[in-house]
Amino acid sequence: MNVAATMEPAEFRLVIPSQTRYLNLVTGLAKRASLVAGLDDATAAKVSIAVDEAVTNVILHAYHGEGEHSVELELRFTELALEIHILHSGQGLREDQVVLPDPKEYIKHPRKGGLGLLLMSRFMDEVRFKADDASGRNECCLIKKLD
Amino acid sequence: MADLSIAVRQAGDVAVLLPAGFINAHTVREFEEALEGLVRDGRYTILLNCKNLNYISSAGLGAIMGLIETVRDHQGDILLSDLQPNVFAIFDTLGFTQLYRVFGDEDQALAAVTPEWKG
Repeated sequence: MNVAATMEPAEFRLVIPSQTRYLNLVTGLAKRASLVAGLDDATAAKVSIAVDEAVTNVILHAYHGEGEHSVELELRFTELALEIHILHSGQGLREDQVVLPDPKEYIKHPRKGGLGLLLMSRFMDEVRFKADDASGRNECCLIKKLD
Repeated sequence: MADLSIAVRQAGDVAVLLPAGFINAHTVREFEEALEGLVRDGRYTILLNCKNLNYISSAGLGAIMGLIETVRDHQGDILLSDLQPNVFAIFDTLGFTQLYRVFGDEDQALAAVTPEWKG
C-alpha cells in the first residue's frame, strides 16, 4: 500500500559523531535525499559533495578534529527546495568570515586547502552560516531549489 | 567494501594510479601517500585513471594540487583520464580542467605523453 505524501514540509534528523569515517554515510544520505526531493542524478551528486565539504569543515575546523562531539544534520523537504542544516557546537563561522578563493588565482598559485567553501557555493543555490555565541549552537545551511 | 583502494602500475614512463571508491577527508591520506610515494621514487609523470573513482572532495583536490608544482619542476605532469561525470564536474567547476590535461581514456593520455605508445 502506498501512503500519499502530505503537502506539509517533511523533515528528519541524523546525528553522527564528529569523525570522518561517517562522511560516506552522510554523503550517501544527501544523495538519496536529493533524489527523493526530485533532483536529478547530477544535481544529487553535487548536493552530496557540498554536504561532504560542510560536514568535513565542522569536523576538522569547528571541532579541530576531535572525534567525541556530535554533528547534527536536519533535512527539510519543502515544496520549493531541499534544505540541509548542519548543526554543531564547535567553533562557529559567521557570514562575514567567509572568504571564497578566486579559482583563477588558485590555478596560478596552486596550494592545498580553501576549495571546500567554493565547491559548496558553486553546487548549492544558497549557503548560509549562523554562529550563535549565546547558545553555542552553530549552523551551516545548504539550500538547493527544486526547479 | 573499503571506502578507497588504490592500484598502481607502470605504463612506459608513466605511473598509472587507479583510485577506486571515494576520496574524502577520511581517505585522503591514503591517496596522498600513494602520490607522494611515486614522487619519492622519481616517477614524475603520473596518470590518474579515474574510471573507478566515484567521488573526490576538496581534500583530494588539495592532495593533487600539493604536488603539481613538484612534478612539473621535474619535467613531469599529473594527467587525468576516464572521469565520471560528477568527478569531471568538480574539476571543471573549479576551473581545474585548465590546469590539468584531461583525457577520455587511458590510451589517449598515454599516447599524448608517450609518442611511441601503441596501447
